[in-house]
Amino acid sequence: MTTQSEAKTSLPKFDSSPRRSLTLTQRRNLTGYIFIMPFILGFIFWFLIPAIVAGYLTFQKWDLISPPKFIGLDNITHLFNDPLLLLSLKATFVYTFLSVPLSLLLSFFLATLINREFRGIAIFRTIYYLPSIVPAIANALLWAWMFNTEFGLINVVVRALGGSKVAWLQSTTWAIPAFVILTLWGAGGAMIIFLAGLQGIPDIYYEAAEIDGAGRWAKLRNITLPLMSPIIFFNFVLGLINTFQIFTIAYLITGGTGGPENSTLFLVLYIYRTGFRSQNMGYAAALSWVLFLILMVLSFIIFKYMGSRVFYENPGE
Amino acid sequence: MASKNLSRRDFLRLSGAAAALIGSGLDLQSMLHAAPPELQDAVKLVFGGWGATAEDNGVQAAIKQFQTENPNISVEWQLTPQAPDYMQQLLTNFAAGTAPDTSFITSDSYETLAVGGQLMDITDRIASDPVLSQKDYFFPQEAARSADDKGRWHGIGSTWVASHVYYNADMLDKAGIKPPGFKDDEIWDWDTFIANAKQLTVDANGKHPDDSGFDKDNIQTWAVDWPLGNASHPTAAVYSNGGQWIKDGLLALDSPEALEALQRLGDLVYVHNVAPRTAAMSDLGMTNTQMIDNGRLAMGIDGSWALSWMNPSTVKNVKLGTGALPKMKQPAAFMQAHFHAIINSTKHPEEAWKWLRFLATPFYTLSFMKIGLWLPSQTAQVTPDGLKTWVTEGIHPANYVDFVTDYLPKYGVALRIPPGYIEANNNFITPAFQALADGQKAADVFPNAVKQANEVLAAAAKA
Repeated sequence: MTTQSEAKTSLPKFDSSPRRSLTLTQRRNLTGYIFIMPFILGFIFWFLIPAIVAGYLTFQKWDLISPPKFIGLDNITHLFNDPLLLLSLKATFVYTFLSVPLSLLLSFFLATLINREFRGIAIFRTIYYLPSIVPAIANALLWAWMFNTEFGLINVVVRALGGSKVAWLQSTTWAIPAFVILTLWGAGGAMIIFLAGLQGIPDIYYEAAEIDGAGRWAKLRNITLPLMSPIIFFNFVLGLINTFQIFTIAYLITGGTGGPENSTLFLVLYIYRTGFRSQNMGYAAALSWVLFLILMVLSFIIFKYMGSRVFYENPGE
Repeated sequence: MASKNLSRRDFLRLSGAAAALIGSGLDLQSMLHAAPPELQDAVKLVFGGWGATAEDNGVQAAIKQFQTENPNISVEWQLTPQAPDYMQQLLTNFAAGTAPDTSFITSDSYETLAVGGQLMDITDRIASDPVLSQKDYFFPQEAARSADDKGRWHGIGSTWVASHVYYNADMLDKAGIKPPGFKDDEIWDWDTFIANAKQLTVDANGKHPDDSGFDKDNIQTWAVDWPLGNASHPTAAVYSNGGQWIKDGLLALDSPEALEALQRLGDLVYVHNVAPRTAAMSDLGMTNTQMIDNGRLAMGIDGSWALSWMNPSTVKNVKLGTGALPKMKQPAAFMQAHFHAIINSTKHPEEAWKWLRFLATPFYTLSFMKIGLWLPSQTAQVTPDGLKTWVTEGIHPANYVDFVTDYLPKYGVALRIPPGYIEANNNFITPAFQALADGQKAADVFPNAVKQANEVLAAAAKA
């Protein structure tokens, strides 16, 4: 029989609680899961469950005030007869296909500009980056003024260049270009990612190229662009997905109307208006599947036809 | 001093202490915001609505008075600034089962919510109420919008509002134009209105629209602003021309009378050059009140509610007057306003009814009428004695009494807005008005827009 003092001096016993019985690998895995739990929970609650509910609602008529009513494929067939969906898709595609390439070009150009070391470069980097973190409401107020036909800064420039004033936000022709210009202002986000990429390219490549007599264009084409291709690809895919989902700024500037004459009724704005203003949550769910399908098909095409052209320095890793 | 690492136990202790502190803080917060002792056992009603400072002050004052009269009921006012945002919030509250007990309801949602069973049927309560059941307590038009086809009421109209002309009397006087009034012989016909408007419109060179060399791109003084963005203003024109906005539950803006009336409004800008484009107004960075005050606008068409900020006390540089809208075939004004209703899910229907009926009694309505925001909707308020209770010097121009005692009872039009209207309006009618404001012909845009809108209304009626 051991005494208490003997027990204290003897080797410590293994704790029999379940946590202590986990192997090192299990404990590491558990820690890993705990760390990714916020994402997993976010994915479940903010994507998976809403997606399942949207799938269910696609076959229902739900006005938010009465219980959902099963209507079969009515919402889906309505997609093919909805004149506003065509308008909405046109607005969204035109905006996306104008703003994504321009945004990429601008942010890449800015990144190359600020990818050099001299006194005060941090100030320039901050100045170019700042617009991308301006809150949406401030952005909307600022640009509503910038695009003012009579007093806006943009028209002051247009007039100074000899043009006549443009009714940017009241014209069905100019409203989308106005949104594209507004989007370009936020190019600083992609610029920072490009800058990080540019700084990851070792100088040794450029030095070797210079010895071989390569000029600026040759260096850009043969060194910078291939090595930057994964980042260009990343910014392109992200830009495409983000611009396709334009909502906040369009809601704020048009007051949720998508005006003038539905010319800026971007798809997400139309989904919102259908669900929360028109009380047609079933059809809004069907529209959201349209958005999902478009993004999925576009992503598939991009990965299939562009992904293979991306150069990865260490493809095995 | 030896440093000591924080052990897990210490960390937990500290965390517990912090949580307790936060908890006690929260409790302190709730104690600070607790209801006064006399209201602690009171039935709590939630009242939701929208509005600016004026509405907020009016509701707060009404709650104070109501709670004094009913110490066993406390009302919590939940304010959202904009009506569309509030209605969206209300819909999500319905879906979540967290709707307030009583609420403002926009006139274009009232029918939808009543048919959907969200609003309590208060017909029998009104019938047995000693005050509200009095014969002719409300204006005759009240039943036309508050009661459904079977005569059932699911809410009570808060007030009436309608469009009229606000004018710069000095400018009209200088031009030798007799201003419009509200009496039959003071209402301008359309031709007189156009002729006067041309006289009042002046370009940078002092020329009028019919003068040769008139510069329509450089107009200094506009005669009139007739906005198309608020349904009240074009609706009045449609009825004035013998048309209808809604007929048998469907939009009727494609009738020849309606199209002619709408085209006439568009022509003010693009044919007669007497009105600014809507965009030009907003781009000038001035409101109609400011433009009237500084002499850049002679007449502004606006709702009666605008009298609360566009009145003889606030327009200081010039003399401000009010008059009826010019008539096309007959005088007309579209009367509407939001409703007050009890939400069916309330657990306190008796108390909710007490509050709702209080909102339809003079204490509440007079406070808004005195500041020019509301028009009377109760017959007793337009009798000689009733007028004395709200007509306010400095707010209501001298002839304003004619508007409520003579013009509106004769020419005010009220109607019920069918289910599905918001969707039909957002998707098709608002864009059609934007096209009209942009210079397109009414006959080119409205027939198709009305057809598409009516498909939405027909589907909503069937559902």
